[in-house]
Formats: sequence, structure tokens, C-alpha cells
Amino acid sequence: MRHTRRHFVQGLGVAGAGMLMDTASAQGAIPKRPLGKTGLQVSALGVGGYHIGTTETDDEANRIVAEAIDAGINFFDNAWEYHDGKSETRMGNALKGKRDQVVLMTKVCTHGRKKDVAMRMLEESLKRLQTDHLDIWQVHEVVYDNDPDLIFAKDGAIEALDQAKQQGKVRFVGFTGHKDPAIHLKMLSHNYAFDTVQMPLNCFDASYRSFETQVLPELSKRGIAPLGMKSMSGSGEGVRNGAVTAAEALRYAMSLPVAVTISGMESLEVLHQNLEVARGFQAMNATELTALRNRVRLYATDGRFELFKSTKKYDGALGRELHGFPTPEQLPA
Amino acid sequence: MASIPLRALGKTNVQVSALGMGGHHLGDAKDEKTAVQLVHDAVDGGITFFDNCWEYHLGKSEEWLGKGLKGRRDKAFLMTKVCTHGRDSGLAMRMLEESLRRLQTDHLDLWQIHGVTFDNDPELFARKGGAAEALTLAKKQGKVRFVGFTGHKDPDIHLKMLQTNYPFDAVQMPLNAFDGTFRSFETKVLPELQRRGIGALGMKPFSGHGEPVMKGVTTPEETLRYAMSLPVATTITGMEKPEVLKQNLAIAQGFQPMSEAEMGALRERCATYGDGRFELYKTSIKYDNPEARMAHGFPVDMQSKETQEMLKATKNDGKPFQE
Repeated sequence: MRHTRRHFVQGLGVAGAGMLMDTASAQGAIPKRPLGKTGLQVSALGVGGYHIGTTETDDEANRIVAEAIDAGINFFDNAWEYHDGKSETRMGNALKGKRDQVVLMTKVCTHGRKKDVAMRMLEESLKRLQTDHLDIWQVHEVVYDNDPDLIFAKDGAIEALDQAKQQGKVRFVGFTGHKDPAIHLKMLSHNYAFDTVQMPLNCFDASYRSFETQVLPELSKRGIAPLGMKSMSGSGEGVRNGAVTAAEALRYAMSLPVAVTISGMESLEVLHQNLEVARGFQAMNATELTALRNRVRLYATDGRFELFKSTKKYDGALGRELHGFPTPEQLPA
Repeated sequence: MASIPLRALGKTNVQVSALGMGGHHLGDAKDEKTAVQLVHDAVDGGITFFDNCWEYHLGKSEEWLGKGLKGRRDKAFLMTKVCTHGRDSGLAMRMLEESLRRLQTDHLDLWQIHGVTFDNDPELFARKGGAAEALTLAKKQGKVRFVGFTGHKDPDIHLKMLQTNYPFDAVQMPLNAFDGTFRSFETKVLPELQRRGIGALGMKPFSGHGEPVMKGVTTPEETLRYAMSLPVATTITGMEKPEVLKQNLAIAQGFQPMSEAEMGALRERCATYGDGRFELYKTSIKYDNPEARMAHGFPVDMQSKETQEMLKATKNDGKPFQE
């Protein structure tokens, strides 16, 4: 069956609010979308770096990356602190000989520390990823209320983004966080020229401390590429509970006006499940999106399926340490 | 010995002591005898405000306070809280009967909705059949004189509760020098209560478990004095040991409020920690009891004391609080 594409738009440009720009002529291909104003085109589904570090073997990680590329995925996410570097090292190995086929992103984990720390981390990331440049370099885990102040302080991480860009070591820059749209808006209030901004986007988010309603329109207005994450609540909490199916959860997230939805795939099985949704992707229409939001609203409004917003569970050990918080063992959530 | 100042509780025509005894820590006392003695000493020291809650230590806090106040009930302004966490008014009324029995009294001076900490709690409170109906009924039946609510999470949730326009007599919230600049109840909720004439009850002057004092960031005296210097009827604090009670009584007896300048300086010092590390009740779910988490479908922390107590209780050996 030939899929009809309601949102088919040719050429590059800035996606307006509520508008998808899927470009995929071949039947069953994963759509490509413009990455904000960068001129890059990225696949609507991206491979999350955290889960590459949780696969059982190196071999499975290699196979996930290879199969993803063969299927048309070109967006690869990572972070300096994932599994103490294992995620980057594995991805570097898996991308050997394929580096030029992908848009490679990793994140820097200053958690309030200075530019020099960031620049050292960049060198380590490049080495582990076996490349001389990153396509995107983002400030990781902007989740504490005072992070924007620290990042934009003199000698703060933002100066590292500038310097790395000037040195040609990174092409584009951005930031990410999973906690609170107000913190994202505080970052944006500095009017720094971010190319990308990453955030949790899923069918629960719209009814609870919502990035979809508070941050996404602002990004569309500025032409900054939105990167969605946590389509399955972080660890599939909403799916395991039966509130949504994995397919509808992913479809919802991918139907929002984002460049890419980054999804953790720790096994080939999960990759295949996601590919089923992404290949020949059909966006939900406004009525379907509203219907799903309304259906899950009851579970959404206390944050039970977005524990990254409502608890400490998803806040990394390093960020906690640098912000003087108890360890994950002392304070699980 | 100077006495603890008494202050008006909102528009209720009742006066309460500026220092109140927290119910959770009472259940942390070494044993029943210690807890009873703590209550006696508190009353003798001039404390009239006693806080408690249906779910503290599965009823132990209420039982011990009931024993401590035996023969002294008329000297106390007695408050406890109901733990519906979004559930219905029928459950609230059953909890009220249990609280009255444990506290050995026929009425409460103040009955509050406990743990309003989830974003949808105000909506669930005000819904048809929700806990709001229980507050009204209990008042009508003469089982409670005044009603209110409490929560430690977010001033916006408190404001949402106030927007229901339910006629609350009292509202409880965390108030300390860290709160002054971080998701602040002091700046967002306190003025609204003053405007409405609702009695303001401060809690967590020591950040919950005294973390800033233990880390040497603030002294006990300035910490408690700051909280008590705010326009509140009382500052509720936990005192599980005689030495803590003694320390706090010394600060409260003959209390002199801090000047604006002193308060500003302390707030500024505390603002350095603008990430909420000293207000974990706002930034984590550590302070959300298993009862609240389960009612809202949140994961329970198996290591927490509250969960361990619950598990122990399920053994149902008929001796719930034996060590």
C-alpha cells in the first residue's frame, strides 16, 4: 500500500509550529526532516546513546548501529558521562567507516563547572568516538534551577561551545534537560544562538509541566531544531503499565514538529519494533493527537509516567555530586 | 523563664504558641516513655500547638501524642492530618475516626489535608466526592473546629488549592531561609494567606532533617529564628530528643524576631545553594510517604523507614510497634 503524505514538503526551511516536514519518497523509508536552520537533514528516528551502553554485548551494539544505518537512521545521540564513556567508545567502534553517513551528537557534562572542563571533555569524546569533529555538541542535563546561571556565567560552559565551534571541532551546538520547561525557557532567555534543543516529548508531557506547550512553540518561532526524547517515559513505564502501546507512544512523539525523536534501543528487538513505526511513518493528525492526550490525561497529571520530571530518579550521579545532592543510592528518587 | 509568644491563628480568634511540636519526629523518639515526657516538657515549656498526621509511623505518632496529652488536652491546640492523597471523602471520614481514637479526644482543633504535593491533588481534592466534602462534614458534626491543608512541594500547587476558594482556616508550608529564594512559599503563598486572613503554619525550618546545620552552613539559632520571624502563626518543628526540645525552647522563650536586614543577609547566604540541595522535599520524592506514592502510582522506596514499617505491619502479628 502506498502511504499518502499529508505533510510532504520539499526543500529546506524552518518548520512552523505544528507543521511536520517529512521528506521520504521511497516507500517504507524513514522520513528525513530539516534540522532547524542548519541545512542538515536528519532521520525522524534517532538512536539514543545511553542504551547503546546497556546492550548485553559489544557485538549487539555494533549490530544495532549497523542495522539502524541500513534502515535509514542517520541521527546518533550520546553523552560524555553515559556509562563512564562506554556508550561513546562503543558507538565510535560501531561507526568505524560509517562516520560520514551520520549526524553525530554528544553532550558535555560540566554540570555548572567551567569552560576548561568542557574543552577537556570534548577531546575525550572525540577520541572515544574516533572522529575529528562532532555534528552537534550539547550541554547535558540542564535540570537544576540554577544551571542556566552557571552555564552562562563568565568562563562557563557556553564559552566552550563558542570556542569549539570556532576551532571547527563541532558544527552545531545546543542543550538538553529532562526536568522543567521553565529551566529550558531560562536557557533560551539568554538569546544564545543554539542550533538544537533537546527535551522530553510524549503523550503524557502535554498534561504535565509541558515542554510541548511551553518550549516547542518557542523553538519553532526561533528556528531552533527541537530534538524529542523519552517518548516511552524514559524506561517504558507507561507502556508496561498498559496506559499506551509502544507503537502509539512513539507515533505520538514523532508526530510533533520535531527534527528527530531520539529513542533508546538496547536490543535488536527494540530497534525492530521502533523501525516498524518509523518506516513509512504516518503522522497522527490533530484529532488523533488530542484523543491520545485526553485518554492518558488521568495518569499524566501527577507525573507518575514522567519520573524524570517528578523525581530524582533520572538525575545522573555526576550532576548530583556537583550540585551537592545525595547519591542515587542514598536518594533513589 | 520567659514564655513563648502566642500569636493569632488567622481569623479564628485562637492564639497558638509561636513554636509548635511536629508529630512525625515524636514517633521517632526512642520509646513511648520518652515521647510522653517530650510532650509533657513541651506543654510545661509553653508550647500549645501540636501537629500530627494519620499516616505518621502508621499511627504510632498519634497514639504517643494521645498518651502524652492525657489530662492536658485542654492546654493544647491539637492538629492532625488526613491522608486521602486524592481519594474520596468516605475514606477521609474513616481516617478521622481513627485519628480521634488514637489521640484520645472527641474533637480536633485543626484537621488538615496532608501531603498536597502532586500537581493534580487540588483537582482531586475539590472534585465531587473528594476530600473537601469531608472537611465540611467533619466541621458540621463538631468533630473538628478548623480545617486546612499542607504540602511541601511547590508554591504553585498551594496557590491552586487556594484558587478552589474552599474556606480554609489554616495552611501549612515549608518556610526557611533557603525557601526565601528557591520555589518560594515565602514570596508566593505567604502574602496570599495574609490577604485572605488564613492562618499560616510554617514547617521544615531545619530543611527537614537539619541538613544545613549538620553541614555547617547555618546555625540552629539563626535557622529557627528566621522561620519564626516570618508572619506565621506558628513554626512547627520536629523534636525527637530532649536536647532538641531544650535547644528550641531556649530560642522560642523570649523570642526576638530578626530584623529585615538580618533576614536579608541570611537569605542571600542561602541563595548560593540555588539548586535546592537543602530542600529535598521540593526537589525529590524522598519526603512523599508510601501512602501518597501508592495512591498516585509512584514507585515506593523499599529502603525508606516508612516502607519498612508498612512491610512490618503486613506481618500482622498483632504487635505492630514492637522493636
